[in-house]
Parts: sequence; structure tokens; C-alpha cells
Amino acid sequence: MDRKFFNLGLTLVIVFLFFLLVVWIGGNVLGIERLQTGERPVLRFVFVAVGIVLALAVYWFTKENKAWEVGTREVVYMAIGAALYAVFSYLFNGTVFVVPSVSQVALRPAICIPMFFGYAFGPVVGFFTGAVGNMVGDALTGFGVYPQWSVGNGLIGLIAGMAMLFPDKKKSLNTVLIIGAVLTAIATLFYFLFRNTPNTLFFDVANNIFGDQPISVLAGLSIVVGFILVVIVRFAFGANIDVAAAVTWGMLGNLIGLGFAAISDIWINGYPPAVAIVGEFLPSAGPNLIFAAILVPILVVAYAALQRQTGR
Amino acid sequence: MLVTWRYRKRRSLIQSFDPRAWIIFYLCYLGTVISIWDLRALLVVFAVALLVVLTSGIPWREMRRAWLFIGGFVVYFSFFTFLTGRGGVEFYQQEHVIRNLVAPFTIFGWQPVLHITVERSFYALSMLVRVFCLASMTILIPYSFDPALYGITFRRLGLPDKIAYAMDLTMRFVPTYGRDFQITMDAQRARGYELEKLSGGLVSQVRKLAPLIVPVTIQAIAGSEDIIDAMDLRAFGVKPRTWVEELHYKARDRVLIVAGAAVFVATLALSYLGLFQFWVPASLLSLPLL
Repeated sequence: MDRKFFNLGLTLVIVFLFFLLVVWIGGNVLGIERLQTGERPVLRFVFVAVGIVLALAVYWFTKENKAWEVGTREVVYMAIGAALYAVFSYLFNGTVFVVPSVSQVALRPAICIPMFFGYAFGPVVGFFTGAVGNMVGDALTGFGVYPQWSVGNGLIGLIAGMAMLFPDKKKSLNTVLIIGAVLTAIATLFYFLFRNTPNTLFFDVANNIFGDQPISVLAGLSIVVGFILVVIVRFAFGANIDVAAAVTWGMLGNLIGLGFAAISDIWINGYPPAVAIVGEFLPSAGPNLIFAAILVPILVVAYAALQRQTGR
Repeated sequence: MLVTWRYRKRRSLIQSFDPRAWIIFYLCYLGTVISIWDLRALLVVFAVALLVVLTSGIPWREMRRAWLFIGGFVVYFSFFTFLTGRGGVEFYQQEHVIRNLVAPFTIFGWQPVLHITVERSFYALSMLVRVFCLASMTILIPYSFDPALYGITFRRLGLPDKIAYAMDLTMRFVPTYGRDFQITMDAQRARGYELEKLSGGLVSQVRKLAPLIVPVTIQAIAGSEDIIDAMDLRAFGVKPRTWVEELHYKARDRVLIVAGAAVFVATLALSYLGLFQFWVPASLLSLPLL
């Protein structure tokens, strides 16, 4: 197992280095323009490799932990999570049911699934739920495949599941909250510096185009709203440590996973960093945080009731 | 209870290949379509998609709903971008007018004008073809991929046993949960729940989605106990797995894989060299600028 794992990691690193070299030599040394800017579909796969290497690195450093074990139960939960995530993201993407959007904040309720599955059943289940669920969901909708966003979604579940790596749930929470606060602050700072950046994810129904209007105040600050909600839930439900931990770890996963995907678009789509963060990261991560704060606790409480009932 | 995709054994081009070969070909095909914007080249891949669809042997009445959904989606995306002309701004700077349609009326002093330009028309057409190719190849998969072969296919594509089996279960669960969602929604509607009339602020709107999401999720988890028991009783994951079905590549499968991969790599290389970019016929560029 270890050998196989090592080989896989090595292969991914080599693939990554190879593409990095191609882009660097071709783009900077030889000055081939097509390797410097604009859409570069090949790089998607590079970032898929980077994301998987990140996930493997987390595993490598904590592989003694029981949270990484995959038994029958985990295999079934992986499949359930991925299928649910796919179905929900297909149903709520705006073509089947028109889910209302409030001032450019598109509602994407499906995101609570990878967070919850990651938290409740561990990082492996979380990663599979996010990555495969997003892929199948995109395929159902006919949007095409954006593998780096799938891996980003996988990271959401993985990080939500990292709560299991810590024996004392309470201790880790404050660190996670502080990291989340720093990331939120950085993203908000970007928003105030580049307020006129278009919101690339907002689908303007009147003009029927993505990324036309400058980002609205609510969309820009939704991440702050979401973060405050998370903090409220953390302290209001401090007694029920499961709710608090699920929400905080879900928040961190959301920030890092989507941050990864958005930042990779700096190279893949040639977006300037400001557009990647303000135009892509904020309008996707902000509303997701709001869902994390509201729907994940409901799921955690409902699951706890189910566990009591069935004794599992 | 599981609901299944509408797979049936048929004599067709798509089902004459090994599912592994078809999955690899499908991925190469997606990659090829994504890297092309040139309408002339798109027509070639379009012909491939059309050939596969028409030889699939799936009767119209079985696929009607899927096609209507995709049709709506495709038309929505390409036709409305055509009307507003905002979609392709990354691809062209100048627009050449074929005709300006000026509305014979004004709304509050604003007179709607529809600029039909060469670039917009060709962008809309390219978009139409691209989305059609991607969507049609994708929806054929559940109709033509034998559910009994899901697991072994992913296993033989190189995934570990457990992950392959999880992929198998994922594909099987999707239609089931779609049905469960529908049932839950009907049940909640019978109790007076109205998805169409979500009111209130952001937070209360989000909370009102819980009656749909939570029951479906929790029921899925509760129902999984049976599946887990069944798998445990068969000693799942104790030893390397054996599979009832076997897959063997035939010559035609190898040809399909090599052809798909070669076309994909060639397209990618050529697109890096500047080919397959957005194209309009040169003869139409003499029209007046917008």
C-alpha cells in the first residue's frame, strides 16, 4: 500500500513538474505567447495534480490516524454523498428549479453535502463526495468538465473531514477559526481594493451573460456575513460540540478548497489575481459559508437523532 | 429500492465497444470539443456526435425528456447570447453588420435594436454546436452503459477496488435519489410547502430549503444500512476483489482508443499553435462595421 501510494505521489509530482517546465521554458524563456496568457485547458490537469498532491500530503503526515481507514461503511457513504451532491447540484443549478438569488448572491445549497459528509464520515468520504459529486453533477447538467473545480470541491470535503484527525475537537476549533478569520480578512481586503471587478459567476438574467456587472456589495461582503454566521453558530451551539466543529471545519474547507480553484484560474483562464479573488472566489465562497452556517448544523442534528435511533 | 437508468441491450455502434474504450474515447472527445472554436472543425466533431446518436438505437420516446431538456438548455445559451451579443466579446473586437432590425415602437423612449452581425451569428452557431456535442455524448452514457459493468469498468481503468466500487454505487444511486427528491418534494407540497414562493431575507430563504435537503439526505443514510450489511455479509474489502463480469479489449476497442487519443492530442497541439480559433468567413468581413 505504501509503495503504491508513494509511486502515485511521485507520478503526480513529475507530471506537475513537467508541465511547469513546459510553461516556464515555453512561456518565459522562448517567449511563446500562447503559453503565457489566455485560456490554457492543459493547465487544468496540472492543477488537478496539485490538488491531489495537497490531499496526499495531508494524508502522508497523518496516515497513522484512524480517520483514513476505508471500510465497507465508508465506501457506501462515499457513493451516497457523491450521488446526493450530484443530484442536488443538478436540481438547484437554476435550470430545473429557479432558486432565487438575492442581489447577485446565487444560492447553491448543495454545498452543505460535501461539508456534512466530510465532517460526519471522514476526509476520504469528504474528498470523494466533493470531487466525484461535482463531476457527475456537471455532467448531468451538460456544463462540461472543469476538473480543477472538482478537486477544489473535493478539498472542501477533505478539510471538513480533518476534524476527525484531532482527538480533542474543542482545542482545534479556535485555531481553525483564526485561520478562517485571516483568510476572510484577506479576501475582504481584496474586495475593498478592487471593488469594480465584475462578478464572473453571476448569471445576469436580463442581459443573459456571465460576468457582466460589477460585484454587488452583498456579494462582496457575503463572505463576511457568512463568517460572522459561522462564529455565531460556533458560540451559540458551543455546548453541542459536533455542530460547532462541523460548521467551523466546513468553513475552513470551503475557504481553502474554493480558494484553490479560484486561484488556479489565474493561470488557467489568465485572470488577473483581483478577478480571481473578487470575481470568482468571493461570490462562490461567501454564499457557501452562509449555507455552511445554516444547513450543516441542521444536518448534523438530524444525523445525531438518526444515530440515537439506530444505535450506530 | 433502487431506480435504474434506462439501459437496455441494443445492437448499436456505441454498445459494440468495450465500456472502458468508450469512456476513454468520451473523455478524449470532450477534450477535443473544448479546445475547438472553429466552426468548420466543429462540424466534423458534430458529425461524429450525430453518427453516434443516430446509430444508438434508442427510440425517441425514451429519450424525449432528456433531449427536450438539453434542447432548451442549448437554445437558451446560444440564442440569447445572440440576441444580446455579449457572449463572444472575448473572441472578437469588431463586428460586421448583416442587418440592423429596429423595432417600430419605443418603450419609454428606448427603441430596441437588434444588430445581426456576422460575428454574433457565427459565435451563436459555434456555441450551439459545442454544447450539443458535449450534452448529447454525455446523455447517451446512462442509456448505453450496462449497470452490471460499472464497477469492473472503473476497476480495469486502473482505480483501486474500493474506489471503483464506490463509483459503481454512485452511478446507481443518482437516479434513485432523483426519484426520492421528487417524492419528498411532493410530500412537502402536500403539507403546504412552496418552493416557488421563498420569501424573506437571505438567511430565512436558506433555512426554507432544509425541508427538501435534510429528509432526502437522512433517508439515504438510514437506507444505506441494508447495503452495508449486504456488502459485509459478502466480506467486502477483506481480500482483493474478484468480479463476475470480465472485460476483454477487441481490435476495434484499441482502434477507438488510439484514434480518440490521437485526435485529442493533435487538436490540443494545433490549438496551441493557433489553429481552431474562432472563425468567420473572410468574404463576410467586407460588410460594414457596427
